[in-house]
Amino acid sequence: MDIDKTKCVGCGNCHIICTMGAISLDAEGKSVVNQDECVECSTCWRVLRDEGYRAWYVRAIRKALSFFKLGYLADADLCPTGALTPPELTWPRILRAQFSNPTVVHPGTGVPGRGTDEIKSNDVTGRLRRGEAGIVVEIGRPGIGAFFRDVEKVAMALAPLAPIFEPENPVTHLISDFKTGRMKEDVLDEKILSAIIEFKTGMEKIPAFLGVLEKVQHEIDTVMSVGVASRCLPDGTIPHEEWVRKAGYTLSPNGKTNLGLGRPLFREDEP
Amino acid sequence: MTNTLHRQGALESLKRDYIVFAHTAKGINREGSAPKIREFMRICLKYHPVNMGDVKQGSMHQDDIAIESLIANLGEGTVAAAVFTDLDTLEKVVQELIRADLGICINITGLLDEVKECCRKAGIARHSAEHSLGIWGAKDRLPEREVMEFNTMCGHGMVSFNLIRKMIEQVRMRRMTPKRAALMMAKCCECGAFNPARAEALLERMRERGFLYSER
Repeated sequence: MDIDKTKCVGCGNCHIICTMGAISLDAEGKSVVNQDECVECSTCWRVLRDEGYRAWYVRAIRKALSFFKLGYLADADLCPTGALTPPELTWPRILRAQFSNPTVVHPGTGVPGRGTDEIKSNDVTGRLRRGEAGIVVEIGRPGIGAFFRDVEKVAMALAPLAPIFEPENPVTHLISDFKTGRMKEDVLDEKILSAIIEFKTGMEKIPAFLGVLEKVQHEIDTVMSVGVASRCLPDGTIPHEEWVRKAGYTLSPNGKTNLGLGRPLFREDEP
Repeated sequence: MTNTLHRQGALESLKRDYIVFAHTAKGINREGSAPKIREFMRICLKYHPVNMGDVKQGSMHQDDIAIESLIANLGEGTVAAAVFTDLDTLEKVVQELIRADLGICINITGLLDEVKECCRKAGIARHSAEHSLGIWGAKDRLPEREVMEFNTMCGHGMVSFNLIRKMIEQVRMRRMTPKRAALMMAKCCECGAFNPARAEALLERMRERGFLYSER
């Protein structure tokens, strides 16, 4: 994100909205974006209403109020002068928007948000079949963000266990070597709000993968949110629960359920 | 999109938090799905969700978004969501969605046992399920537990820690009502998965029991 310095009056509303805390005041009292930390999520630009005032007008009003020792408490969702300016992004910086701005559709998957499918359409795709578990590792979430070099560390730790990386996942598209988990060199310094490594494996390998994540979590300078999924048994039982508990981890009481209402329903005997 | 998977909070609070969302798969049921997604949203709307939206257009709590035009402009390939706060309503929504037989993929995020029971009452067995195993890594970089309860309601991470703290502060100073502060947070969430009713209840509780008293 860019801020037009000729318009900015330094009200500070964008500092609060910024998901990464990447906006601050400079020596002139105007807001400036730390471009290394900005993930191009455009939340500031979308949420802050442009009041359309001229900068000189806002400053004059402020001076007048100040003279009479009066203050004005503005709403938090305003940019009085419309100073925020979304830039034209090019490769590799455009990845920041693709992985951080949920309104942007990932070009490789056609899915907005973080671009993943998980179990959301498992009833029609059969992506996870009986005996298989899906694991998602969202690096940078919640609220801290991550560089792709952090994502690569996790991918490289997982790779020796031969996960089946989800082909319709935007992170998979950035992995240059699936045997090592190494990612494309030119993306590593890009920061995003979060990115999801998504793969499937046999149910019995869940403890081994969680063990690897247990170790690699200490090697990254950010957080990651981990999820496990599987196709339910005919009576509604969730098969991965047993394997996760065996491995010594606690399952959340809440989670996601695919109701199986999609059509045509995938049949297990399909190839 | 794991944007609804990792919601945090006490069990009592999570009992007021159910997100129903529609999804489609490319080459299977996505093509021509726009009218079905619109019908899905119309069904949800009948039961007065506290939030609804889709990532391409935004949520009902954003400026200049009328719910009728939001539904009318839903296109194929989008992920449309609606948030409900009680199980009885959720059951009615599920039953009506089954009757409508739209053929798009319907998912619910919420307490898994409650959703399982809801499926049983509606006469279906759940197809697939996903659990969160929580947050790993540099957890010392995270804020207080209360802030996390708000932040994780928007899994895309659009509600910043700073905004949450500011809204809590505004409520503490009585410059904003819990409802207004909750709606301000909901405005940041693009896909409509944020639960403003739960956020309001959390702020009300804070007003009674104290603000940000827990450890990071």
